[in-house]
Amino acid sequence: MKKVLLMALVVLVFAGLTSAATGVKKKRPLPEDYGKEIIDNYSDKAGLPAVVFDHWLHRSNFTCRLCHVDIGFAMKVGGTGIRAADNIKGYYCGTCHNGKMVFDNRKVFESCARRLSDEDNRPCNRCHSLGMRVKKEHEFAKLTEKFPKERFGNGVDWEKAEDEGRIRLVDSIEGVSIKRKPLTIQKDFNLAAKVQGMPEIIFSHKKHTVWSGCELCHPEIFVGVKKGTTKYSMVEIFDGKYCGVCHGTVAFPLLDCQRCHTKPVQ
Amino acid sequence: MGRNERDISMKKCGILFLAIVTGIVISFFVPAAENIFLGKGVVYAQADWKAEFEDICSKTQDAMSFTVVELRSLIERADKLKPLIQKLDETERKVYLKRLQMCRDLFVFALGEKEKK
Repeated sequence: MKKVLLMALVVLVFAGLTSAATGVKKKRPLPEDYGKEIIDNYSDKAGLPAVVFDHWLHRSNFTCRLCHVDIGFAMKVGGTGIRAADNIKGYYCGTCHNGKMVFDNRKVFESCARRLSDEDNRPCNRCHSLGMRVKKEHEFAKLTEKFPKERFGNGVDWEKAEDEGRIRLVDSIEGVSIKRKPLTIQKDFNLAAKVQGMPEIIFSHKKHTVWSGCELCHPEIFVGVKKGTTKYSMVEIFDGKYCGVCHGTVAFPLLDCQRCHTKPVQ
Repeated sequence: MGRNERDISMKKCGILFLAIVTGIVISFFVPAAENIFLGKGVVYAQADWKAEFEDICSKTQDAMSFTVVELRSLIERADKLKPLIQKLDETERKVYLKRLQMCRDLFVFALGEKEKK
C-alpha cells in the first residue's frame, strides 16, 4: 500500500513538473522562423495546406509601408482575407507574384493559377506549404550571411544592414503606389518608463517613418494624439498592442530592452 | 403632295436617317459618346475615382502641416469618394476601401492634433 502511494506521489510530482515546463512559456523561434506567418482564411476549405509567409524575405527587399499601405495587407495575420481570385486579379500577393514582374533580374512566380492540374498544383506549394517539405528558393542563412548581426529576432540588424547598403528597400511599385512628396520627419521624443530606474525610451520617428510612413501606425496602432494621453504598459505591449504589433512579430523583439530604453537615468 | 413638298419631305427623312446612323456609328467607336447614348454616364464618372483617390491619398505625407480647413476638406472628399469605390467589384472594393480608410483616418488623426492645440 505504501509503495502504491509512493508511486502515485512520484507520478503526480513528475506530472506537475511537466505541465509547469510546458505551461505558458513560449519557445523562441529560430532566426529564419521569426516573423513567419501562417495564413489560413480559405486554404483549408480549398483543400490546400495553409500559406506560410516568411516576413524576413520580403522585408529584406521592401518597406513595410509598400505592403501594408499601398498593397493593403492588414497588420494582423489573417486580417486581409486574401482569396486566390484577388491574387489572380493582380491584387495582394498577385501585385508582384503575377509571373510578369521582374525583380532582381528574375520573373516573380505567379501566386495563383487560373486553372489547376496535377502539374500546376506544384506552384501552389511554394506558398501553401504548411507541414510540407518544400525546397525554398532563398535560404535564410545564405542570404543573411554577411548581414550585421543582432541578438534576437531574425538575428539580423536590419537597420544597420540598410545603412551599410546590404539591402535596398523598394518603397513603391509603378501602377500601385501613389506618387508622394518626401515625408517631413516628425521629431523624436522620449517616454518615461514607469519602473523606477529603467532608462527612458527615445522614440525615433525617423527610423519608423522611413519604413512605415505615417498611416501605418496612426491611428490604427497609436490612437492618442497628444503626448502623454495614451498610457502604454509593457503588459499590453507584450500582448501585441502598440509597439508590440511589430516588435515581437517582425521587428526586433521586446526582449531586447536596451534597443528602446536607451536614455540613461539621471 | 407637290413635287417640292415631296422633295423636302424626302430630304428631311434622309437627314433623320443619316443622323440616326451617325449616332449608332459614333456610339460604337467613341467611348464617351457610347456612355451618353447607352446611359453609362456613371461608368465615365467611375473612371475619375482613381484620380481623385490618388489626389487625396498622395497628401498623407503633409498631413501634419495642413490647416484645419484643408484637413476637413480632404476628409470630406474621402467621404464623397467612398460610395464610388463601393460600386467597384469585390476585390477592388476591398483594396481601395481599406486604402482610402487609412488616408482618411490619418487626416482625422492630424485634425485631432490641430484642434487640441
